[in-house]
Amino acid sequence: MQIVDKYIDHVRGEAIRRPEKSWDKILLGFKANKWRMKLLPNKNISEGYHRLESMMMSLVADSLSREGSYVWGNIFAPCELMQCFGLNTLSIECLSCYMSGYHLEDYFIDYAQNMGIAPTLCSYHKTFVGGVESGVVQKPEYGVTTSLSCDGNLNTFRYLEKKANVPFTFLDVPYASDRESVAYLADQLRDLAGELEERTGRRFEEEKLKDILRTENETRRELKRFFEYQKIYYYPGELISHLYMMMGMHLLIGTKELLELLRFMNEEIQKGPVFRGKKILWIHLLPFYQESLKEYFNSSQEYQIIASDIILDYMDELDAEHPFEALAGKIIRNLYNGSYAHKAEMIGRLADELHPDAVIHFCHWGCKQASGGSILLKEKMQEKGIPMLILDGDGIDKRNSHDGQIKTRLEAFLEMIGTGGREAC
Amino acid sequence: MLGYICKYAPIEVFQSMGVEMKRIEPEVTNFTQADMKMHPNICSFAKGVLEDVLAGDYEGVILTTCCDSIRRLYDVLTEELPDKFIYILDTPRITKDAGITLYEKRIWKMIRTYEAFSGKHFEEERLAELLKTRQKEQAISLKEHALNIGIVGARANENIARILEEKGANVAFDITCTGLRRKYLLEPDYVMTGYTRGLLSQFPCMRMEAAAGRDELIEKYARSVDGIIYHTVQFCDNYSYEYAWLKKVLPGPMLQLETDYTKQSYGQVLTRIEAFLESLAPGKEKRRPAPKGEKKDMYVMGIDSGSTSTNAVIMDGERKIVASAVVRTGAKSGESAQKILGEILGKAGLAREEIAWIVSTGYGRVSIDFADENVTEISCHGRGAHYFNPKVRTILDIGGQDSKAIHLSEAGEVTDFVMNDKCAAGTGRFLEMIARTLEIDVDELGPVALQSTEDIEITSMCSVFAESEVISLIANNKEKADIAWGVCRAIAGKAYSLMKRVGLEETFMMTGGVAKNPGVVRAVEEKIQSRLYICPEPEIVGAAGAALYALDKMQA
Repeated sequence: MQIVDKYIDHVRGEAIRRPEKSWDKILLGFKANKWRMKLLPNKNISEGYHRLESMMMSLVADSLSREGSYVWGNIFAPCELMQCFGLNTLSIECLSCYMSGYHLEDYFIDYAQNMGIAPTLCSYHKTFVGGVESGVVQKPEYGVTTSLSCDGNLNTFRYLEKKANVPFTFLDVPYASDRESVAYLADQLRDLAGELEERTGRRFEEEKLKDILRTENETRRELKRFFEYQKIYYYPGELISHLYMMMGMHLLIGTKELLELLRFMNEEIQKGPVFRGKKILWIHLLPFYQESLKEYFNSSQEYQIIASDIILDYMDELDAEHPFEALAGKIIRNLYNGSYAHKAEMIGRLADELHPDAVIHFCHWGCKQASGGSILLKEKMQEKGIPMLILDGDGIDKRNSHDGQIKTRLEAFLEMIGTGGREAC
Repeated sequence: MLGYICKYAPIEVFQSMGVEMKRIEPEVTNFTQADMKMHPNICSFAKGVLEDVLAGDYEGVILTTCCDSIRRLYDVLTEELPDKFIYILDTPRITKDAGITLYEKRIWKMIRTYEAFSGKHFEEERLAELLKTRQKEQAISLKEHALNIGIVGARANENIARILEEKGANVAFDITCTGLRRKYLLEPDYVMTGYTRGLLSQFPCMRMEAAAGRDELIEKYARSVDGIIYHTVQFCDNYSYEYAWLKKVLPGPMLQLETDYTKQSYGQVLTRIEAFLESLAPGKEKRRPAPKGEKKDMYVMGIDSGSTSTNAVIMDGERKIVASAVVRTGAKSGESAQKILGEILGKAGLAREEIAWIVSTGYGRVSIDFADENVTEISCHGRGAHYFNPKVRTILDIGGQDSKAIHLSEAGEVTDFVMNDKCAAGTGRFLEMIARTLEIDVDELGPVALQSTEDIEITSMCSVFAESEVISLIANNKEKADIAWGVCRAIAGKAYSLMKRVGLEETFMMTGGVAKNPGVVRAVEEKIQSRLYICPEPEIVGAAGAALYALDKMQA
């Protein structure tokens, strides 16, 4: 472990002192980590979560190392369409997380803020803008972003187009969920397919997209089964495992490998012990570094996160026969789009199916759409008799997330919903 | 009466139905309802609108899907005011035909919903009649013999233009959402389509896809004026991208001005605008030094009324400091000023009548009734720093409740500045809080910090969080010296980002009470990897600058 820490420190220092030379070292670290994961699995987590972690590391390490193999996206960019052209989608939010593996997030955030970027902006976006501006993060040839859920998307991509010369397609996602909206977005998706045809020189095959969507439907069904199983069986994972699952469901959805993995997880989970602790439905991002949360949720038989809205943010079947309309509908009916009543309803559906003991809503610094509706959701959950805790913090910047305050709130809440031990009495 | 906020809202549709439309311009004293029903970290404008609508007498509100905060505002308003007409109009970000078609359909749907709600009836002909009167072209209006200022960025409230006018500056253009004029080309056969096209082809805001035209227009407009005020709203982040970009590409002076739509922020806005105008003001020739030997027995005074200390300087006609004084500011800045007036006159052995001109500066500058004139602390610090050391290009001033970085030209003119007066972290108050927690005197904090042997990171950026972090460090038996050093480094980190934003050019000078703290000084020096010039009495730099302004007056 010491060597790993030393290498991380070394790379961090290099990125700050000689940004132009640090990228190869960053990639080397990612590749080494990919092999380390394959050879030395984390014994504290289940095999399924371990494979997931390894799959995500490979996606990042392999894409970044191969020129022309990926586009920058945001987490809601339709990766299915990119897959048709053999392109991976690396979302800027996820790349920021991977940069924080080198403890570079604070340096990048300060860098962006010193350029004039607002301190109140989402820390994922600040990390990424700072990473590119400081000359550390290297760029692909193209980007794809949407207006879904986050004001920062269009602005970050537009800024990077001007500063780093990365052109992008912007998908305007309408608010209302109706036929007009679907047609409007489906046409934009067709244009994107045309743009990618031109850029890659590969012909778009609609049949391929249909196939990807069929796989996606299968995968989503497996995921729902997995959530059901997590209610019943103990399945050791860490806070970050849920984040990997979110990344997988957004960047690798539609691939056979993710489908196979979920099938494996559904088999593996049934071999585990019955879960008797408290079942938590997690809303929004997870601060994977937060000590107190790790203490309570990492491989814990007392508290298990059984589902999260960021993993399953769209719940219905896609009509593979009309792939562009299906993709457009998926994006428009995402629970992060439209009114909060829509979001509350979908989370309500999830709660009705999974019967969690409690809901925890993490308000990530800078995320106005999540924070702004948290109180409405709490009221909705109260109607259903499910206690909900709102935690304020930051998904990536430790300086905005005070562990002592989170610990106190979390412990009081867990005491309130009754610990497993006490209830057993 | 219906309220609206966004320039893309089709207000003429409602006006043609005889509905009074009011653009909501909140100016509130608190965000009590918003903090309870939304979240504190939502855009201040959205919070202000919520307070205003809940308190006001609107029939309803027309919102657009302009940003995340407004979308959530809609959710809260529909929940809170179920009987009112709270409508969110799905506004496309694409202005091409697909966007126009979609928007027109949305507008029709809204009209039908309002007709059902109100019983009123919409007629396209009446809209056409009305549109003939809305033909104002966007233009630049420059004035001679005045500073011409352009306002760009997020929606600017009326105070900004009012302050500019009161200070004699001319608002040459205001291309924020609130300053734009509306113009429509009437298409008689397709009234609604033409109207929708007109709405969407207004000067684009940052939420629109095609903001490229924005850059060109801003750059063109910016070249015609003396300075740009770039307005941002607290917790609205979209415009900071453009600010960061324009800062690099615009050649002229630009002030970033953040507001939060509260009445309390008026003073902060005023200081920044005044300082900006002072830095642009023509007539630099007034700054020539007095010819030697002339008016030796002429005296002027500068008085700097800060939150923690009130400082004064008396200068003679040869720019020599005759006397200076520093007293703690009490609850009333006027009283401290009276006190210091007596003290400094005593020190100088002068009578009040012998002081030819008095310039006040600082946070309490307007409360000093015996001053003849007031100038902002930014300009005075710049002036004072140049007086003490003409090589200085970057000033770091950390006072009791604010901190600022100022960049000076070779001639000692302020070319850029940034201020932090919104949060206690990185100010003298913060050091006082921590000293109290460590149970040491604030004057000891610096010397104690220098004895540190271990680097501890204080990671929290907010002073309240930082204080609890310090408490946990104490609980973990960390050494006082190490904690104190950690705190000094945290302040240095804040100071560094301020200094970096004005360019980080050498020579550096530190002023204000905190410059007497050797711990902070060393931490800042380590961070900037350069020495800080500190004059013998760092608290009187602003007052000395004010005295120099007074001297200008006498010698003009």
